[in-house]
Amino acid sequence: MRDIFFDLSVRSVKLNFLRSLLASIGIVIGVVAISSMGMLGTNMQLLVKDQLTAGINTIVITPDVVRAEPGSSSSSPSGITESQLKEIRDAAGANDVIPIDRTSTRFSIGSSDGRGSIYGLDPGDVKMIMNVSEGSTIRGEGDAIVGAQIASRFNLKIGTRIKIGEPNVSITRPVVRVVGILPTVGMSSSTGINTDNAIIVSDTWYTAQYGGGNVYDQVNVNLKDVSTLSEVEGAIDRKVNRNKDVVRISDASSRITSVSSTLSSLTTFILAIGSISLLVAATSIFNVMMMSVSERVQEIGILLSIGTEKGEVRRMFLYEAFILGFIGAALGGIASLVIGYSVVSAMIGSTAYFFLPESLIYVPAGMVIGMAVCIASGVYPAWSASNLDPIDALRSE
Amino acid sequence: MSEIPLIRLSDVTKVYHLESGDVTALDHVSVDIGENEFVAIMGPSGSGKSTLMNQLGILDVPTSGDLFINGRNVASMTILERTHMRRDVIGYIFQKFYLIPLLSAYENVEYPLILKYKQRDTSGKAADVLKSVGFDRALGAHRPSQLSGGEQQRVAIARALVNDPKILLCDEPTGNLDRKTGFQIMDILVGLHREGKTVILVTHDPKIAEYAQRTIQLEDGRIVAS
Repeated sequence: MRDIFFDLSVRSVKLNFLRSLLASIGIVIGVVAISSMGMLGTNMQLLVKDQLTAGINTIVITPDVVRAEPGSSSSSPSGITESQLKEIRDAAGANDVIPIDRTSTRFSIGSSDGRGSIYGLDPGDVKMIMNVSEGSTIRGEGDAIVGAQIASRFNLKIGTRIKIGEPNVSITRPVVRVVGILPTVGMSSSTGINTDNAIIVSDTWYTAQYGGGNVYDQVNVNLKDVSTLSEVEGAIDRKVNRNKDVVRISDASSRITSVSSTLSSLTTFILAIGSISLLVAATSIFNVMMMSVSERVQEIGILLSIGTEKGEVRRMFLYEAFILGFIGAALGGIASLVIGYSVVSAMIGSTAYFFLPESLIYVPAGMVIGMAVCIASGVYPAWSASNLDPIDALRSE
Repeated sequence: MSEIPLIRLSDVTKVYHLESGDVTALDHVSVDIGENEFVAIMGPSGSGKSTLMNQLGILDVPTSGDLFINGRNVASMTILERTHMRRDVIGYIFQKFYLIPLLSAYENVEYPLILKYKQRDTSGKAADVLKSVGFDRALGAHRPSQLSGGEQQRVAIARALVNDPKILLCDEPTGNLDRKTGFQIMDILVGLHREGKTVILVTHDPKIAEYAQRTIQLEDGRIVAS
């Protein structure tokens, strides 16, 4: 059988239905903000983690940034030399070793100019590590495959020609022909090659244009067995960095940790922004509860004068806050699913992770936080109601 | 040492500290009221009638002096004990009825039982008491705002009686009623007195005061006749 104080609270909420509903809408907005932002952040993390995990069997070796020679005032970017490449091949054993050249370049497609990365790889390696979504892979010297973002931005089709280099009327720029288009890789690359805004050409074409045939910007080692990751990394480190660190060796796990940490901070930040709306809602609930107390002063006086305990009066108002919170949280929970889905879909383009527990947990979490905020907003009004002087309260009209 | 009566005020003074200065609402009042007495309290406005009723109803405590109710000194009781005494020993009937607007007539009568037993009334006591004051059972589902003044006062009397209190404090119970209904309410109170209740009644109306066995006359916070 229901508590009479709960009944009184329900009837009070019903009596002031519109006001109660408006106050609950504040909680709805707060719950939606927290849940949607939380789900957005989590979906972003899950997507990036998956993209990085896809390349877990890849070791990326890059030159140890810029080395300044002792006694020299100049510094030069160090590439990975042929001899170092050979050492890497030796250490890598039967695993595939893929040397990669890369630079940043301007390019023109028809009358449009753009900027992006250009990668030079052995056509055999391209075939091994990249799957085109349209067209074919590189066969000849003037062939190029392009990333999804460039293809979309410049509306590239198979056969489109791209002029590489700075637009300059006095020099004829080299031209490549698009033979393939890559799928979207996303905001992070698991292989150290971010192809979305890149043009991939053959290593011979690249060397012919940019030189540096014996020096590489990056070397990838594709492991046949991922369990040998540490072992191979150790072998490369011992072999190449035996005297001093000349290359940096990284893999997906270190990148996952780094990116996850960054995204986690980002999620916390956007959750904090979402929480502001809940603070506004708390103010609204507090206001409504204080109004409820001030409108029912005489009723409180009656309750106290005929033997109602202070705790029972407090309970009655806390129930009212609970009811407002429950309505807000329930509506907010439903709205969070709809709005959260839309936000995730619009912001990261994939809802593949939306229904995973790590993502959906933000809905009940948002609801619980919303209700807790609502009840907390009712504590002072409830306390002040229970501490009214019954004589003064009875006299009020 | 003589036995303490149901109610004893011993040199009770109540002073209100206002910005305009101290106001003495009760000035060294001493009076005993025994069980099953019917007492009327009369006096002009500002004579201290309401203050005295607030003391007797334990809604307030004396500034000085001792107030004993049902054998206990009110000053030495905790807030919770006073609340329970209001619930169990005293039934309060107000001039303005003061029913709980969100509850039906029946629920208003049931409410003190819920306060006491912490559960809904399944014994039928609330309905019986409501019937005993001549209240039509069918009206029990109505909210106070849907009832006439006489009906509301009957509900208020039923609410005051439902926990079987020893003392009934009636603050101008006929003040908001027409003469005929007022006398009907007084008949109910006389009947309750006959059944053993101690009835204390504040009134301006000498005709109503005639129902009482004893009249306490107040002036300027002092008892001038008892």
